Amino acid sequence: MVADIGYGVIFIAFLVALYSVGAAIYGDRTKSAGWVESARRAMLLLWPLISISAAALIYLLVTNHFEVSFVYEVISRDMPTYLKITAWWGGQAGSLVFWSWLMSAFASLVTLRKWDRDREFLPWVIVVTSLTTAFFLALVVFYENPFAEFWRGPDGKLIADASGNAIKSMFAPMLNASLAIPTDGNGLNPFLRNPGMIIHPPMLYLGFVSFVIPFAFAIAALITGRTDDRWIRITRRWTLWAWLFLSCGLVLGSRWAYDVLGWGGFWGWDPVEIAALMPWLTGTAFLHSVMIQEKRGMLKQWNMLLIILTYALVIFGTFLTRSGILSSVHAFAESAIGPAFFTFIGITFVGSIALLIYRWPDLRGETEMKSMLSREALFLLNNLLFISVLVVCFWGVVFPIISEIFTGQKVTVGPPFYQTATGPLFAGLMLLMGVAPLSAWGHSSLKTLGRAIWKSVIAALVITIFLFFTYTANPIALVAFFLVAMVILVTLQEFWRGTAARMKAQSENAFTAFWRLVGRDRRRYGGYVIHLSMMLMAIGILGINLFQIQTQGTVPVNSSLSLGGYTVKYDSVAQFPGPDGQQVTRAVVSVYQGNNYLGDLYPRIDYYPTEKQNMTIPGDRPTLKDDLYIILVDWQPTSTNGATFKIFVNPLVNWLWIGAIIFLFGIIFAAWPDRDAERVPARSHHIHQPDANQTGAAD
Amino acid sequence: MNESTLSTPRRGVPLWAQIIIWVSLLALLGIVAVELNRSQQGQVGRGDKISNFTMPLFSGYELNGQNQFNLADYHGKVVMVNFWASWCKPCEQEAADLEQAWQFYRSDGRVVFVGVDYVDTEPKARAYLAKFSITFPNGPDLGTRVSQLFRIKGVPETYFIDPQGILQYAQIGPFSSVDDIKSIINPLLK
Repeated sequence: MVADIGYGVIFIAFLVALYSVGAAIYGDRTKSAGWVESARRAMLLLWPLISISAAALIYLLVTNHFEVSFVYEVISRDMPTYLKITAWWGGQAGSLVFWSWLMSAFASLVTLRKWDRDREFLPWVIVVTSLTTAFFLALVVFYENPFAEFWRGPDGKLIADASGNAIKSMFAPMLNASLAIPTDGNGLNPFLRNPGMIIHPPMLYLGFVSFVIPFAFAIAALITGRTDDRWIRITRRWTLWAWLFLSCGLVLGSRWAYDVLGWGGFWGWDPVEIAALMPWLTGTAFLHSVMIQEKRGMLKQWNMLLIILTYALVIFGTFLTRSGILSSVHAFAESAIGPAFFTFIGITFVGSIALLIYRWPDLRGETEMKSMLSREALFLLNNLLFISVLVVCFWGVVFPIISEIFTGQKVTVGPPFYQTATGPLFAGLMLLMGVAPLSAWGHSSLKTLGRAIWKSVIAALVITIFLFFTYTANPIALVAFFLVAMVILVTLQEFWRGTAARMKAQSENAFTAFWRLVGRDRRRYGGYVIHLSMMLMAIGILGINLFQIQTQGTVPVNSSLSLGGYTVKYDSVAQFPGPDGQQVTRAVVSVYQGNNYLGDLYPRIDYYPTEKQNMTIPGDRPTLKDDLYIILVDWQPTSTNGATFKIFVNPLVNWLWIGAIIFLFGIIFAAWPDRDAERVPARSHHIHQPDANQTGAAD
Repeated sequence: MNESTLSTPRRGVPLWAQIIIWVSLLALLGIVAVELNRSQQGQVGRGDKISNFTMPLFSGYELNGQNQFNLADYHGKVVMVNFWASWCKPCEQEAADLEQAWQFYRSDGRVVFVGVDYVDTEPKARAYLAKFSITFPNGPDLGTRVSQLFRIKGVPETYFIDPQGILQYAQIGPFSSVDDIKSIINPLLK
């Protein structure tokens, strides 16, 4: 009954979404405000409708309705209630509902804004967002229905197809059939039972979904021919929030991999990780290049291309994960939605590129690039570097497929390929992070740049030389640490320069001056905080990639293993049932540094009998210097209680997580709504009246 | 994108550029379509003719002294292809049973076992083989070629090819006993 309501409502939502697309197009063609308003209201109806359907699904999950196939697949009786709720996005069908639900929420938010000055965008924004929502709803309605149920024939047997698989359907497949109710379900994949994993998918989905909004405005601008920077100003904050969610999703995913996958790393260049990174790369490039359009009226074509690419990559990434085309830790079970997805990608991609080509002449820049060292030139270079990283990633994902088509052999490109190819590009991006904030809009010369940067460069060199004598002689590490030091110093200098200027000009004390400085231009200083956090993250990434050491050994009780100055003594092991139906095997080890006792760690293996799956959960001891990370590989209860441990020492890796937290803070700071976000000074004022901070080195 | 080259107003994208854009876009969609089609085929099924493949074997796990396994060489015999990995816990359930079955058939000479180590590292794989005292031929699935051929979805999976080279049975997941394995091979020997 509840399942029927859930399905019925989602079907109605699908029809409403289609209606809203049709009404918006008709309203725009006939210049009828009434039809457009009707389309807008239809779009506002989507979120409440999908919420009802979602509530039905959650109800079925929490109350163990195993006759519903989705419930049977993702939960079991022994799961705690909060996991039963989050299992909503633990499987293909449910997560499509979840995606549609988020999409409709964002669509509603955008329609609720004031439209006075941008009325002509409205119908086309509705068309794009409603069409995207309708597509995801169609996947739920026609392909992956979470409400489909199992049935039993009049003979009492489960109704199955020829190959023995139980038939799932909304309606009785034969006369006198009744619902088949299994006693228990399969349970949620143990990998998804980690708190980080509970928030990681929603964050990624939020990031993906919110990028649809800038895309919708871009398409509206292309269709209506209003190709000035209005669409960018409206969506600037959306883009920042989208970027925040996507970044948050990536960081949580990395942390989860580090905590749960037990291979001592956080990023494996898995195709699905790359699929999520690719829109992040174009999104980051977009965030930078829109500033050039706002300030200088340039790169309009490029910005359109970037937002179209970002949207396409969002959809493409979702497609890769869900169609079963890739094998990966992230892949959903095999599914029939591939062809539908493929068609949707084809239509949106071809449609938006055609529109872009049609409007190409209208998107010409208002000014030309005058200096290769101007800030706009450096921003463009930054964009090209981001796109190069994207090309490397894209090639890595597509190359195995191409090679299979042309040579018949599947090759996989591993982490070494990505690391070698993207390393120099990331170094280039770091260099730009150091130089670009010092360059001026319009015009900079080597002389002005040099004057602004020399102090930081010399200080960074001193730090690097110090590191050479005290820490490492690895040339890659030294170059990277030099860049990190330079960027940090340049950025701090920028904060100091602005504060000092205010202290002098407004005779404020240092604290007030600093507070007002960053408060007045939060996008700029939030951006600098993000740069600083990126450098902290870079320290962590360099540490784990260049200096990680590991060892493995089997030891009897009371014996120890040593690595990197740590001694790990195996004390005991115990088996006991866990709170979540799993069988826990937990070792106790004590950690010493020299003769100093530092504490106990508890690496463990959780065995989930229902799912027949093991989870290896490391014991780790984080410090700013390094992270001691111990995995219980195996243990033998009989042969004198020996156990096998794998031990990693991951130097500096915790700076990655510290940096990530500052990074998220930086984005929130930059994206937080102003009291009047819409009132932005016209561009011409910006060019002709640059304040001291805006021009940086030119003063 | 290059602002300075577009000097005349209302000049659109040149035809050659449009052609390049559309051709590469279609090529990309084509590639994805091919791959999608492939992934929709599903696993190989009973009655499929298995095309020939070769794979290297770990030293110490050769077959008749050869460090290469070539399926065509064993035409006329029953071939059991078992996909496994050292990181795969369910594989451990069946490892001892597989070895026991191999000891049962090896003197007969009409049955060949080959283990395909899927996405793994050699030291770990060797430790696994040693742990379960496995003696039948085993080798790495370089470039996942063999698993691609069988379109496996995970490990363990086991495929039984009859003397005519036709797939007769596919076991998804581990075997529960050595009799399980025998009950599949024995009918194929008749």
